[in-house]
Amino acid sequence: MIELAAVRKRFGRHAVLDGIDLQVPTGARLGIIGPAASGKSVLLKLVCGLLRPDAGQVMIDGTDITERSEEGLAATRARIGFLFQNYALFDFMTVGDNVAFPLARRGGLAEDEIARRVSARLRAVGLAGNEAKMPAELSGGMKKRVGIARATIAHPEIVIYDEPTAGLDPVTTSKVYDLLRADQETTGATVIAVSSDVEALCRFVDTVAFLYQGKIRYQGAAQTLTDAPDPVVRQFVRGDLEGPLEG
Amino acid sequence: MFGFVERAITQVGTTTVRIAREVGGIVVLAFDVLRALFPPTLDGRELVKNLYKMGNQSVPIVALTAFFAGGLMLVQSAPFVEKLQAHALAGWAAGYAVLREIGPILIALMFSGRVGANNTAELGTMTVTEQLDGLRALAIDPIRYLIVPRVVAMVVMLLALTVIGDLVALVGAAITAKAVVGIEFSTFIHSVVDNLKPYDFLHGIYKSMVFGASIALTSCYFGVTVRGGAVGVGRAVNAAVVAAAVSVMLLDFFMTYWLG
Repeated sequence: MIELAAVRKRFGRHAVLDGIDLQVPTGARLGIIGPAASGKSVLLKLVCGLLRPDAGQVMIDGTDITERSEEGLAATRARIGFLFQNYALFDFMTVGDNVAFPLARRGGLAEDEIARRVSARLRAVGLAGNEAKMPAELSGGMKKRVGIARATIAHPEIVIYDEPTAGLDPVTTSKVYDLLRADQETTGATVIAVSSDVEALCRFVDTVAFLYQGKIRYQGAAQTLTDAPDPVVRQFVRGDLEGPLEG
Repeated sequence: MFGFVERAITQVGTTTVRIAREVGGIVVLAFDVLRALFPPTLDGRELVKNLYKMGNQSVPIVALTAFFAGGLMLVQSAPFVEKLQAHALAGWAAGYAVLREIGPILIALMFSGRVGANNTAELGTMTVTEQLDGLRALAIDPIRYLIVPRVVAMVVMLLALTVIGDLVALVGAAITAKAVVGIEFSTFIHSVVDNLKPYDFLHGIYKSMVFGASIALTSCYFGVTVRGGAVGVGRAVNAAVVAAAVSVMLLDFFMTYWLG
């Protein structure tokens, strides 16, 4: 269970998160949506301990990670796979080494086995045979898929996706979400995904949280999002130009 | 009038706070690096890669600079050597200046411009593209994985380059001595061997070790604290080179005073 309680985070004078309460049961798939710069990526980084909240608690399986040192967080992070919005691929490594990195650092697997798993993972994201390429040689969509492969290769208990399908065409988007769903159903991982492609996201997740002006404005089933009682949520989801949504 | 004074005081205060913050950050990074070195758990592959990149590829430029710097010692002193007929002391004078001052300082500044600036740009780019966060998310400590190998490689390689540079500078001085003043190689070598002590060499070596640590820490610090994309990386490289040059000069002053 991932639990955020009264979490606040400011950058300078700007309160990005202003009292977030959120619970994600083990094995659930939660989508987070919201306008640009509403703090979605910040929220994900708080869950992974990459940022610390100014107030409140971030608990993973009942353990508060907010007060932990970097060394203390290592065990928690080893259970998490994180896809960054801007890929965060290591540009000094090949694609194959990037994907192999979580397995290689964890140890316990022979090089042949790691190479086999890397090939299989890259094939699954539609990038078979690209092991020897450098990240600079890839398009944005390819980098995103390499990031997905790296985030999921070690079958983490918690997977965090920040814009997993940004820059991908509709067909590839569907394929990627099919893959993510199949992965999640196999591993039973807890998934939190942020995406601007609300329609595709809603087909992947069970519940959706709408982040707006530093607070979770709405949380409910993904299937009923378009009929949400809150006019702000409805306007955002439907993409209407007129309505109460600010900014 | 008061507005000008107020602005001046504000400027001085802001600059002081900024410098204090940067020096404090570098000191904290130094402690983190030391902590990571005991016990040494640095990544071997990263260390070897950095040793090669920072050291081997710097040899040609360091050798070229050192050769002409050594020669310059002789060109500058040639009129006095001629006037005082001090041919037997030319090797000593050039060697003393090269081993104690010119070698360590010049090579450190070259190293800072080539390796330090590159290191800041590399780490800065990794910072703004979230690669450091990527490492942390994979439970890898960027200090141990990226910073420590770079600091060790820079200290070791500046030391090695200083030894090479010292030798090349002496060769440059000997060749220039022969060409400009007509001093025989044997005379020059005798002058160096008879008059210089091993400590003159070690004096420069101690300095280069400290300069290496200083350049490494400043370049890494400004790299990992970059904010603001490509523009921020440019600013960080500039700040790192300036900070490294200032720190090399300050450290040289105090070390010369302390080492005698």
